[in-house]
Amino acid sequence: MGKPRPLAVMVNNLTIRFGDFTAVNHINFSVRQGEVFGFLGANGAGKTTTIRMLCGLLVPDEGEAVISGSSIHDNVQDIKSKVGYMSQRFTLYPDLTVAENLSFIAQLRKLETRHFDARRQELFAFIGFNHPESTLVKNLPGGVKQQMSLAAAILHDPEIIFLDEPTAGVAPQIRSRFWKLIGKLAKGGKTIFVTTHYLDEAEQCDRIALMRDGEIIALDTPKKLKQKTFPEPLLEIEPPVGASRAWMEKLKVDPATATIQPYGRRYHVLVKNEPAWKKIIRKIPKAYRVQIIQPSLEDVFIRQVEGDRR
Amino acid sequence: MNNGFRWGRAFSIARKEIRHVMRDPFTLAWSLGLPLILVVFFGYAIDFNVRDVQLNIADGDKSRASRELLQQFSSSQYFRLKQVNPGQNVRRDLDQERSKGVLVIEPGFGRAVGEGVPASIQLLLDGADNSTVGIILSYVTGIQQATQEKLFGSSRSLPIKLKSRFLFNQEQSSQWFVVPGLVVIVVGLLSVLLTSLTVAREWETGSMELLLSTPVKPLEIILGKLTPYLVLVLIGVGMVYVIARAQFAIPFRGSHTLFIVGIILFLAQCLAQGLLISVMTRQQQSAMMLAFITGLLPTLLLSGFIFPVESMPVFFQYFTYSLAPRWFMVVSRGLFLKGAGIFELAEPMIMLLVLTIITIVIALKYFKKDLEP
Repeated sequence: MGKPRPLAVMVNNLTIRFGDFTAVNHINFSVRQGEVFGFLGANGAGKTTTIRMLCGLLVPDEGEAVISGSSIHDNVQDIKSKVGYMSQRFTLYPDLTVAENLSFIAQLRKLETRHFDARRQELFAFIGFNHPESTLVKNLPGGVKQQMSLAAAILHDPEIIFLDEPTAGVAPQIRSRFWKLIGKLAKGGKTIFVTTHYLDEAEQCDRIALMRDGEIIALDTPKKLKQKTFPEPLLEIEPPVGASRAWMEKLKVDPATATIQPYGRRYHVLVKNEPAWKKIIRKIPKAYRVQIIQPSLEDVFIRQVEGDRR
Repeated sequence: MNNGFRWGRAFSIARKEIRHVMRDPFTLAWSLGLPLILVVFFGYAIDFNVRDVQLNIADGDKSRASRELLQQFSSSQYFRLKQVNPGQNVRRDLDQERSKGVLVIEPGFGRAVGEGVPASIQLLLDGADNSTVGIILSYVTGIQQATQEKLFGSSRSLPIKLKSRFLFNQEQSSQWFVVPGLVVIVVGLLSVLLTSLTVAREWETGSMELLLSTPVKPLEIILGKLTPYLVLVLIGVGMVYVIARAQFAIPFRGSHTLFIVGIILFLAQCLAQGLLISVMTRQQQSAMMLAFITGLLPTLLLSGFIFPVESMPVFFQYFTYSLAPRWFMVVSRGLFLKGAGIFELAEPMIMLLVLTIITIVIALKYFKKDLEP
């Protein structure tokens, strides 16, 4: 990573319980300013709960978090004016117009009228909004609604932006457009904290935290996560059309093989070490296409989340 | 950095809320229409007064005395007399609900009256409808006394005679009784329902998250969200008041200031109750159910609106002590009909104040626990 930048988020032993259930269990991490920080995990892993604590919407039972210099215990109001939060759910008022929604938020955030007018135009240009401002929000197309939510969350030009599954249930081309916006924001020096289900999105983050059952089980850049999770080489084997499964079965019990995962017609074969890997390649018939591949985040995710469970 | 309460933010929320209401003609229509419907329904359709009751007469005597007695009955406006043959089954009309009662005069009634010995007539009443019959019976007693006076002169009447006169509502008009009570129903139902729905909607759609992620304060949210509905309810009360005075000519004998204080106390209690419901349910559907159960039912059934508290079982009488509508009912009727002053209304007003404070404290506690980290 480049030169050290100040910390935007510092989380120390953060814990919250709902009754007997520990939703978030002593997590620790920090996010540098200008970083795109991804939170990955299954539903119920504790991602949203963590974000809500960091935005000052929930009080942790234990631990501390400092958001751009303000403690979530002492300075909730400060935090609320410094961060932007885009909830998982669509939170604009569908029966109000675009202009009314934005000016309502501006009033709650005490933005000056002149500043607000300029900022609104800036954001419309940023998200490429080309509908009349007097459109009722419920009449906007789905993707535009999504971008309008983002505009509403960053209306007050926050230093840190929390996005909770911003692209859930949105068409792929809209997702990639949305991620371009995230990239632009990060380039402008904003810190982005984003949760997602989509592994291709996670790939675009500077660093990723993998969450499971309220705990962070891995945290690093996508590249390092892959290296750390798969120190051994990963082979992709594609059998010829019509080949019997017999050979793959044989490979599965070979002592040099660690695991075999089917991916459609192909197989990902994890081998134990380099000599073993060379041995295997030599054994495989010519008709089979074999190549060494970089593990995808999906491979990482499966190995981290499932592997640990065994 | 000022982290305190800002009127500006509460005002912005109120303005947003007004936009919601204006864009949802359905809510607007029924919050303004409901008071009207209630007044028409309870003012006109439901009439506890008994007039034009058919009374069958089986006169087996046909003497001067019996004609005199019947004359008294028919000259009162309460009864429509129908002569039937004393010989046939006099209960037939009663069984078929065509008549509420049969007056049977046995032969020899006139002779007995003439001789000054006790004479009796028989009145058969339809006991299945005891509310009407109770009123008929009291009319009949009055008519009987009047007849007695006429036949024998006042000297022959009993030395002590009970003569009752109705105070406050001399007309015994049920509208006088019902319409001031409607103020309670309108406030009780509308405010609980509207409040619980508006806050529950904010939870249900997720926009509460948006509000809470800004530096807005819980108190600003409450004031901003509730004020427009408070105004809406007051308009409803105003309509009931105007109709009561103009259409039903119901007097207002007490102090308007006291009336407004009472309304505000009761309204505050209802709004807090609605808030509590919305915090507990967080869903419009269940909020509506709870609002009807806790807002409408006690107001309609246990406040003394129709069924007097005094005639409830003892347990329920004590139970009604905990219901604000019961106390506001006393205040509203007292001010409209009796011209009660601050001393007469001290007890209900104090109870109202206590219940209001209790509800607000509970609601705020729950609401703040939910909102304020």
